[in-house]
Amino acid sequence: MLFFSFFKTLIDHEVTVELKNDIQIRGTLKSVDQYLNIKLENISVVQEIKYPHLSAVKNVFIRGSVVRYVHLPAAAVDVPLLEDATRREAANEARKRNEK
Amino acid sequence: MSFFGFNNSGHNQAAPGFSQAHNPFAGLSHRDDEGEALEFDDTYDGLGDQLEETGDDLNDDTFGGDVAPTGHGSVGRDFDFFGQTSKVANVIEEEHMRFARQQPPSKVAQHTPAPAPQSYDYGYQQQQYARPVRTGYEQYKEEPPALDDLQVDLSLWGVAPKKQQQPAQAAAPSPAPARKILSVEEVEAQMRAQAKKSPQPPPQQAPGMAPPPGLQQQQYAQQQFFNNGYQYPNMQQPPQQVPPQHFAPLQPQVPRPQDTSREPAQPAHAQPVQILQRPQSKHAQVPSPVAPSPVNRQQPPAVQTPQGLQQPHPGQGVHPTQILQNPNRLSGEHGQPSPISQPSHVAAQTHPGHPAHQGHRQQQSFSQQQQAPLAPPQVAMLSKEEQDAYLAQEAKRAKRNHKIFVMSKDNGIMTPQDKNFITRIQLQQLVQATGNPSEFGTDQSLVEDFYYQVHSQIQGGHRQHPSQPLNNFAQTYLFQTGSRQGGMRRHNRGGDNHMQRMEQQVQRAVEAAKNKPKNKQLVIEGSLGKISFSNAKTPKPLLNIKRTESSGEVQRPGTGSRTQTAAGGLSRKEALRSIEAVYDTLMKLEDHERWRPPPPVSEVEQPDEVQKSIEWGEQTARLNAKLLEALKVGAPVGVYPVHPFITLLSFNKTIKVMQRVFRHLTHQQRLTVLTLIVYSLDSMDVVKGAQVNNTNDIRFNAAMKEKVELFMLNVMSTLFNFIGELDLDLVAQLLEIVSDRNVGAIAKSKIGASLLTMILSRAEIIKHAGGGNEHSWQKWNYQYTRFFDHLAPHLPYIFPGSPTSGEDVYVWQLLAAIGIGASPDQQQTLVLQVKDRVMDTVTLAKTLPVELSTQRLNNVNLFMHSIGLDVGLLA
Repeated sequence: MLFFSFFKTLIDHEVTVELKNDIQIRGTLKSVDQYLNIKLENISVVQEIKYPHLSAVKNVFIRGSVVRYVHLPAAAVDVPLLEDATRREAANEARKRNEK
Repeated sequence: MSFFGFNNSGHNQAAPGFSQAHNPFAGLSHRDDEGEALEFDDTYDGLGDQLEETGDDLNDDTFGGDVAPTGHGSVGRDFDFFGQTSKVANVIEEEHMRFARQQPPSKVAQHTPAPAPQSYDYGYQQQQYARPVRTGYEQYKEEPPALDDLQVDLSLWGVAPKKQQQPAQAAAPSPAPARKILSVEEVEAQMRAQAKKSPQPPPQQAPGMAPPPGLQQQQYAQQQFFNNGYQYPNMQQPPQQVPPQHFAPLQPQVPRPQDTSREPAQPAHAQPVQILQRPQSKHAQVPSPVAPSPVNRQQPPAVQTPQGLQQPHPGQGVHPTQILQNPNRLSGEHGQPSPISQPSHVAAQTHPGHPAHQGHRQQQSFSQQQQAPLAPPQVAMLSKEEQDAYLAQEAKRAKRNHKIFVMSKDNGIMTPQDKNFITRIQLQQLVQATGNPSEFGTDQSLVEDFYYQVHSQIQGGHRQHPSQPLNNFAQTYLFQTGSRQGGMRRHNRGGDNHMQRMEQQVQRAVEAAKNKPKNKQLVIEGSLGKISFSNAKTPKPLLNIKRTESSGEVQRPGTGSRTQTAAGGLSRKEALRSIEAVYDTLMKLEDHERWRPPPPVSEVEQPDEVQKSIEWGEQTARLNAKLLEALKVGAPVGVYPVHPFITLLSFNKTIKVMQRVFRHLTHQQRLTVLTLIVYSLDSMDVVKGAQVNNTNDIRFNAAMKEKVELFMLNVMSTLFNFIGELDLDLVAQLLEIVSDRNVGAIAKSKIGASLLTMILSRAEIIKHAGGGNEHSWQKWNYQYTRFFDHLAPHLPYIFPGSPTSGEDVYVWQLLAAIGIGASPDQQQTLVLQVKDRVMDTVTLAKTLPVELSTQRLNNVNLFMHSIGLDVGLLA
């Protein structure tokens, strides 16, 4: 849930999503779900010349499984908090594993 | 009735919307008013009484004659069906009556050209008739009017060629005209009826007046109200058009048109109207005229039995009416047009009407229920399947009607406000049951959604779950905001405030010293506050890494730890593991902090609370011990070349966490940490690896630079706050410890210099505040002198870079701190040591723009003022 939790905080920030087919889409993150499906608004394709068919698209819903990278806005990331959240996540996972 | 009076009698009827919530009998009231006292008055608003009956004449002009004429109340009451909860049953009965009445008039209207004008007349006539009717139905005060209507209708019908009821009709012949304006439904019904008529030539009907479409329509409407499904029959009925006959035959029931003749004798029964509707249905049903009639007759008796009243007119069979409706459907469905049958139906209907009324009343207005039982006779003719289907439908309908009836008792008991209130309560309960996410799943959500929860707390964005525990977390991280933001990329923001504040306070302290330079007794309250380590104007110190000593790179965690490992200190791996343990424990502590029980008010009264409190404290202590162990603070000093704690401090991770750690340490533990740091100053990488060189610009080491900055913001600010709480003895001890170390090396680093400044300025603040006793001051003075002697030779070399670098503010601050507490001799030494630097800076300032120049001179003045001088004197 860490990534989901994390991406939720990026809602309404501009992110660049790089898909596994190399298309990079920049847009405002509007929504993300537990599968890390992503909804972007006001998108623009980074290499627009290469993908002219997307030039008219304004909103996209991206299936989480086709995302390769998400470029984050550094200013919107709280690093120490994220570090701790990561530690917690790891601890939780470890606990769950032990419980099993 | 006046135009704006909106007399119920005339207006409501026309417009269903108006009458719905109202007293369904309001319209009737007028009629009643004439001759009899109405019980309606109780519910009635009384407006009707005020109205002038005669004045109604103009209504036609105003609203159109159609609306007003026939029954004032009859038209609109259809909609009132459920209007009054308490009288629903009665209402339903009345509805039947009304429909019955309406039908006849409509028929009349169609048949007879006179209708429109009739409406008024009609009303009067009805009244007249009403009385006779009443005799039978006196019990139902409301009903009388209906009866009247019925009679009137009959009379109207009677007027029609047919023989049967004619006598009665004769009485009220002309007026009966159609009162209603046809509704869309009615129109449709008529159209259908016509269409059907063509196929069905009703020979028998012929004699009678064609069944007025209006009747059908009315019936239709009724059916809609009562039985939605039965509309068909009406359609079919029109073809039969024998209505008048039907009416007459009412009593005799279907088979006998002849019976109709008898009927005249029964003029009193206005009910025929009701019957009419049903008859139509029958027509449809009965394919063969002859057969139906007998059947109907037979059937009626059985049906009648239930209805005591009907018995008087045995042949007429109340059932028919009821049946009629149902049959209609069947007929419609079957599409069996039987002219002969129609008459019979009509008759049946008429008869039933009378009994039906009574029965309805008795039964409380569930005509439908009655109908169901009645139906069977007619149904008998149908195939078994059909019968079954029919019965099933009837049962269903009856059930539904009964349900509606039962429920209708409570209609209107609750106001909309009441309902809203209930709704709110329900929602509340729902929320409680579901659990408020914020309260319910705080812990769970924190586990699963920690980053988001805390992040949104900090950002103050969407605070969906503002709960106390979360706030604790938010505070934890908010606390770091300054260091965090200043740490890496933008150390302008959080750190800036901090720095500026410190700088201002140092300046104030210097001001105070300058104002009363020679007066040692002078105490200026709160003047010596804080010291700024650096600020935006004085960026980071340049680094001068000396090869001779361990270089910055060597001090980097990686290489450094290797060295340490060899020396028996912490290995890098151990160190990292230990740091993670620190974090882990720290988070547990913070988690634990959220559950701090409220301090028990009374130990006697709240043993549980006390117990909780104690347990909590024990747990806290355990975690605290764990934290200290992870920090390696307790490791013996001097055993390792570098103390394990200091090793840990060489990691950025540790530096970052120090602030948080400090919050969970006791005063003694903090002192231990501080002592450890001071003791190990010259072996710390941020000191050892960040030595300055005043000759050339510092060699740039980004990593070390960042680390120093990080250390300044996280550790130094924490220590600064802590040192601010120490008393003179402790400060003197700290100074003593420092003096035992390599003071020169310490002073040559920004960290070291800053720490020295803190210690010295703290003593100065205590002095200004009048703290400390004689003994302590003696001790301090001794330590100060010793320290000064150690440091003095190094003074010229503690400046970072050349004067042009402009990063020497912290050095001037240190010099100021030294100068304030220095004796005249020491001050002279000071001046001698740094004279060159002062002069260089002043010279440089002259070549700089005003702003920079002023800034530089101010820096120098920090020191100059502390010893009672001013840069201005040099100029």
